[in-house]
Amino acid sequence: MGHSVPPVRVIRSRGWLTGLVILFCSLGPQAGQAEMDRQVSPDTGLVSWKSSGDALDFELLQVLPDYVRAVFTTRGLPKPLIDKVSSYCVFGTILKNTTDKPLSYRVADWRYITPDGKRHEIRTKSDWVAEWRDMGVAFRWSMLPDDQTFEVGDWGQGFTTIPLQPGDVFSLEYNWSQDGHTETRTIKEVQCAPAEPPNID
Amino acid sequence: MRPQSHRISTRSLYVPLVCLVLLSVFAVTARAEGELGYRFTPLAPLQAAPGFSLQDMDEETHTLSDYRGKVVLVNFWATWCPPCRKEMPALEALYKKLGTDDFAVLAVNQWEDPDHVFTYTGDLNVFPSFPILFDPESAISQDYGVKGLPTSFLIDKKGRLAYRAVGGRDFDHPEVEKLILELQAQP
Repeated sequence: MGHSVPPVRVIRSRGWLTGLVILFCSLGPQAGQAEMDRQVSPDTGLVSWKSSGDALDFELLQVLPDYVRAVFTTRGLPKPLIDKVSSYCVFGTILKNTTDKPLSYRVADWRYITPDGKRHEIRTKSDWVAEWRDMGVAFRWSMLPDDQTFEVGDWGQGFTTIPLQPGDVFSLEYNWSQDGHTETRTIKEVQCAPAEPPNID
Repeated sequence: MRPQSHRISTRSLYVPLVCLVLLSVFAVTARAEGELGYRFTPLAPLQAAPGFSLQDMDEETHTLSDYRGKVVLVNFWATWCPPCRKEMPALEALYKKLGTDDFAVLAVNQWEDPDHVFTYTGDLNVFPSFPILFDPESAISQDYGVKGLPTSFLIDKKGRLAYRAVGGRDFDHPEVEKLILELQAQP
C-alpha cells in the first residue's frame, strides 16, 4: 500500500491555550475542504486522493495514458476513439455512499479549476457516448456515469476525463446531494498522471 | 456496430499490459473494494423484470421467463471492471451453496466477446459454473436502467424486480443468502 502524506499542521503560538485552539480547529475538516489522504503507490509511483469522513467516499486515481489506451484497445474500439480518450487527463474515480440514506451526484455540477482560477465543466459520459455514437460505436462503458443515486451500500466507479496535459495541476470541485442538501468539496493540487510510468526506486 | 478488424492482432499486444496495470494501478483501490458490502435495496412497487433471450458461451439461448418459479440473480458485469472480477468467486460460492432447484444466477456480460471472456474465466481461481450470457450491444442493461458495472438484481419467483445492488457485493455474505431464502419462501 502507498504511504500516507498527512496534512501539514504547524502550531506557532506563544500560549498553550492558543495552541490548543489551533490544534482543535485543525482536527476537523474546514467547510468545503475535504480531508484528503494523498497516497503514492509504491508499486507504480502513481498518486491517488481519497476523502474520509464524508457521506460520499470519493477516491481519485491517476491513470497512465497507456493504460487508457490499453483498456479501450482491448474492447476493439477504433483508433480515432482511443486516441481521443487517451489524449485526456484520465482518473479512475470511485464513489461510495457511506451512510444509511440515499445520496445523489451529478458530474455536470462538478468543476475543475485551472491555476489561472478559471472554472471549467467536466466532460460527461453522455458527451463521450454521443461522440462515439456519431462514430458508429455503441460502447457506453468505462466512464463514470453522469449521475447516480446511491442507495445504502451502493457504490460505483469509472473514468473521469479532464482536457489537460500529463502532469498538469488543477483543483477538483465535486458535490453530492442528500436530504435536499448539497455538500461541496474541493481537492486541491490534483495532478494528471505523467505521460510515462514514474521511475520507482 | 463494433469494429472487428484489428481486434485479434492488437489484443495480443495489450492484454498482458492491461492485466499488469489492472493489478498495479487498481491495487490502490483494494482498500475501497476490500469491503464490498452486502446490502441490497428493495424495489417498490414490484415491477416485471424486463425479459431477455441471450446466448451463453456455448451459444445456447437462455430466456429469463424460463426461470419463472426460481429466484434469479442477474449480474451485469465486464472483465475490465475490477469489482466485477472481485465479486465473481463469491457469486460462484453462492450459486454452489444454494443449488439450482429454486435459484439461478445469470451473469450478463457487457460488450465483450465469448473468446475474450473465456480467456478471462480461465484465469480465475474458481471457474464460474453459472451461465455467462452476452449482451453485445448493452441493450438488456439499458432495459434494466444500469448505469455502471457491476449492478445486480434479485428477481422473485413471479419474475418481478425485488432488489438492486449498485457496485460490487460480497454475495457470499449470510445476509445475501438470507434475502434469497426469504424470496424463495414467498408464494
